[in-house]
Amino acid sequence: MSIQEQYRSRAKELLGEGSVKMVIGYGVGTTATRRRPIFITSPDETDRLVLDASCRTNLAGYLLREGLLADQKSIAVFLLPDGVRALNILAAESQLATAQIVVLGFEIKGEEVKPLEGTAAGDFSAIIAERKEQRKAQPSHEMAVKLEEMTPAERFAFWEKEFSRCIKCYACRAACPMCWCRRCVVDNNQPQWVNTSSHTLGNLEWNLVRAFHLAGRCVECGNCSEACPVNIPLHLLNGRMTDEVLTAFDHYPGADEQQEPVLASFRKDDPETFIL
Amino acid sequence: MSEPFEPKIVAFVCTYCTYAGADLAGTSRLKYPPNVRIVRLPCTGRISPMFILKAFQKGADGVLVSGCHPGDCHFDHGNYHARRRWTAFNALLQFTGVPEERVKFSWISAAEGIKFAELIDSITEEIRTAGPFEQYHKLIAETGSAASV
Repeated sequence: MSIQEQYRSRAKELLGEGSVKMVIGYGVGTTATRRRPIFITSPDETDRLVLDASCRTNLAGYLLREGLLADQKSIAVFLLPDGVRALNILAAESQLATAQIVVLGFEIKGEEVKPLEGTAAGDFSAIIAERKEQRKAQPSHEMAVKLEEMTPAERFAFWEKEFSRCIKCYACRAACPMCWCRRCVVDNNQPQWVNTSSHTLGNLEWNLVRAFHLAGRCVECGNCSEACPVNIPLHLLNGRMTDEVLTAFDHYPGADEQQEPVLASFRKDDPETFIL
Repeated sequence: MSEPFEPKIVAFVCTYCTYAGADLAGTSRLKYPPNVRIVRLPCTGRISPMFILKAFQKGADGVLVSGCHPGDCHFDHGNYHARRRWTAFNALLQFTGVPEERVKFSWISAAEGIKFAELIDSITEEIRTAGPFEQYHKLIAETGSAASV
């Protein structure tokens, strides 16, 4: 039985016995390699589920749709290891209770999709711990290395050019499972922190603020870069923040649901190399 | 004849340590450059990175953020939280190419009037040498509003 069949029948079983009220998974999209999230509530619909190497979107954010979890009923969701980490962070930030979530975990290696053992977020701690070590050893993105070698003026020019294309559609925010604020700082107009007109200044401010608010929270699922209509390399900013919290505070976002948010906790011996 | 460049520097300071230190510098009749505009806040923990961006948005050439030494916070641990925030935000600024001399962080206690005066002296000189923050001023000009700190 293919992994897709295996997961379809698992979803059918869960919905059939009534242990979950909904399955959030992937369905066919507009092109052969595009997948779109589907929300299934009846066991008859599970044939619409697709599971292959194109299923890379992190679906964790859909769990926070207003009122979805309010009735205390369970929901099953297809998640990659990054998705499980997102789930852990959302639980740590009191946005959901992991007991309500049934994880249909899988991972993609090359073009092969492999099932992951476990149903609760806590069952995946071993693979997440492994990912942490991989992330530590992972060489920086090619472009990130180039940027680090540039002078500050060149770096500024690079980002100025990138951000000048931003149209402030906020697709990055909409696609991000971590952007759950009911009222985003950029929507505030008293005070107006960020310039909302589509000039490079406001674009720079917006992207800096978003990267900062994701420091230690981003699971690097890639939803934002994928969603950006003008292809701003948002993963470089987020990746740089992840490097920083990992090296400075040994913080791997979403390691488990007890993990304290990195910017809401501290150690007295945190490093400080730049403070006069 | 053009006038010498006088940088505009905004200092976000906590009221219990650095502001008191600045006060001490004043009452001790220590002289330091008048280029710094001090904004007093209850604690470094209150200083959001948005403040730094706002200062630049309004045309500042440099920003200083300063508070109590670790362990000395009036609220016990506000500065520890601030330190983590600064670490992440400073890395972000460096990565996006904001020159290092434009944003400075320091610990200055209420007893360190001399340190305050000397620090303002040195950062003013550093920014005077670097010149106006043209890269940012260009972005401000695009929006049609004039820099006004």
